[in-house]
Amino acid sequence: MSVLDRRYETMPRIELEQLQLERLQALLVRLKRNVRRHRERLGDARITSLTDLANLPLSGPEDMADSFPYGMFAFPLREIIRLQSGVGPEGRPLVIGHTRNDLTQWGRLAARQLVAAGVTANDVIQIALGEGVYPSATGYLLGAELIEASVIAEDPAHADSQLAMLRNYRPTILVTTPANALELARMLERRAIDPQSLHLRTVLLSRPVPADQREQISAGLFATVRCSFGVGEVLDPGLCLECEHHAFHIHEDHFIAEIVNGELVVTTLTREAMPLLRFRTRVAATARPGKCACGRTGMMILPGARLDDRLLVNETPLYPKQIAEVLAQGPLAGRPFEIQILDRHIVVKVEMSVELFSDTIWCIERLQQEIEVEFATRLGVEASITFVQPTARGQGRGTAR
Amino acid sequence: MLLQVKNLQCGYGSLRVVHGASLHVCAGEVVGLLGGNGAGKTSLLKALVGLLTPWAGEVIVGGRNVTGQPAWKAISNSMVLVPEGKMIFADMTVRENLLVGGYHNPDRRLQLEIVLERFPRLKDRQQQLGGTLSGGEQQMLAIGRALMARPRLLLLDEPSLGLAPLVTQEVFEQIVKMKELGVTVLIVEQNVMATLSVADRAYVIETGEIILEGMAGDLMRHPEVKRAYLGKGRQEVWE
Repeated sequence: MSVLDRRYETMPRIELEQLQLERLQALLVRLKRNVRRHRERLGDARITSLTDLANLPLSGPEDMADSFPYGMFAFPLREIIRLQSGVGPEGRPLVIGHTRNDLTQWGRLAARQLVAAGVTANDVIQIALGEGVYPSATGYLLGAELIEASVIAEDPAHADSQLAMLRNYRPTILVTTPANALELARMLERRAIDPQSLHLRTVLLSRPVPADQREQISAGLFATVRCSFGVGEVLDPGLCLECEHHAFHIHEDHFIAEIVNGELVVTTLTREAMPLLRFRTRVAATARPGKCACGRTGMMILPGARLDDRLLVNETPLYPKQIAEVLAQGPLAGRPFEIQILDRHIVVKVEMSVELFSDTIWCIERLQQEIEVEFATRLGVEASITFVQPTARGQGRGTAR
Repeated sequence: MLLQVKNLQCGYGSLRVVHGASLHVCAGEVVGLLGGNGAGKTSLLKALVGLLTPWAGEVIVGGRNVTGQPAWKAISNSMVLVPEGKMIFADMTVRENLLVGGYHNPDRRLQLEIVLERFPRLKDRQQQLGGTLSGGEQQMLAIGRALMARPRLLLLDEPSLGLAPLVTQEVFEQIVKMKELGVTVLIVEQNVMATLSVADRAYVIETGEIILEGMAGDLMRHPEVKRAYLGKGRQEVWE
């Protein structure tokens, strides 16, 4: 299979470690000079070898939230050419900035993943990532344009229009979310459309999926399936790539990944606008030892589940606290609720007080609708609200099921 | 990796000038080391070849640890320094100057032909005294003299110092041509624009610490490089 940046992707470990040490030392100097938050924490810490990294303080999304908006930026705002907002712990806002070089670099790293998935300049690639994954879509777009593939950066809202696009434009590569891919596969099966009549060669999913889903998508769309893995606050896509042997290789010339108590901790070596030092990603991961047959030397990881209470509803990140806040707007404030996440939407079961239950159906329905609209407008997710009778069991508030 | 430097510290007397610099140069690369006055560029180079004894750190050339080796041994590691201010022998002819550069090289006559072929200006002035050459020609002579030793790694200290812009351009064109000869080059320079236009990669050093490493093209667009060395965006706007 193809490797875009052979020099760096297959760099011998000894050279890679020298490069990392140099970049890490330079990063520390820049952080101490340019970012007060880091300066205060680092003091006069110095690094003489990569093992010294373990002695440096950890940081996390709460640092980004605490110093919101621009406290973590290493450059004045005028050098930042793209701002991307995110959601942090408890739904607090985050912002991620990019300089010109950051975007160039993002494109190169995304291109590595695309090339590893077999994209060439001769391919037509559809990037069908919509709401919730929009920032990732811009990353893929930069990468695909760098490879000079023909890009369709559109996410048709309906599976029918998606199918029409696949037939009309004949993309060979489809970058999409697992839910979209599954829906498409199911639709082809339902309508007895031969997936071979489409021209898809590879489907690149925006996040890792279990093996059975991968199999299902692969069979349903008659294409090889690759997954991408990234962390929004760090880089997604572009943190690592999945090679043909289904190993996730960290781009170690640009990031140092550590596994601290089962959590993936990332240090960005070349980010200009907002460098992160030992950033706790809140994602579980395990390191895979050994060498990969693809020849890449970047550390192999096996990404796992999220370690915090963040939920993903139709690819939109969400925290239970945000749900509680939406519910707190109306007469349901403080009521215990239970949530269930389905493919596309979230089901919120709210325990109702007896007084409210005694209202007329008409009133309850109106309340239901109001809350559903609130979910869509405030959080950008589709929700269906059901009311349940209070139980004596006293289930925990805001528990995901 | 032809040259690997780890945590190098050096200085003069009790004054530490380089505070733990790490860098590397791969075979066939042209790498720039950029920085302003007093950043520690020249001291770092001197420590590499042994003109200055490193206080700490490692210098590894072609896999061999040569930290603290005396300067006269540098040549046996195929490492040659073209010092700042050319330092040619003014009272010797161009030809003699070149031959001195290849004193240990048994094939120096052959090498002389190769070098003269590369620098036609020197060929025309073989019998002229070194001191009577123009600044640019002296710089060419200094580089030619270094090439006489058939180095694998050429260290250039401020090749553009005191040269007119047009001559500087000529010198840098010669540096690009070094790549064709298979010579690896580490250039220490204040002339950021010229260096970045010929280098593959570069390091930026400030007050004895390396603050940046990157591809030459990327560094040209780096806000800090633009501000500090290219004179762009001096007014800072913080929100």
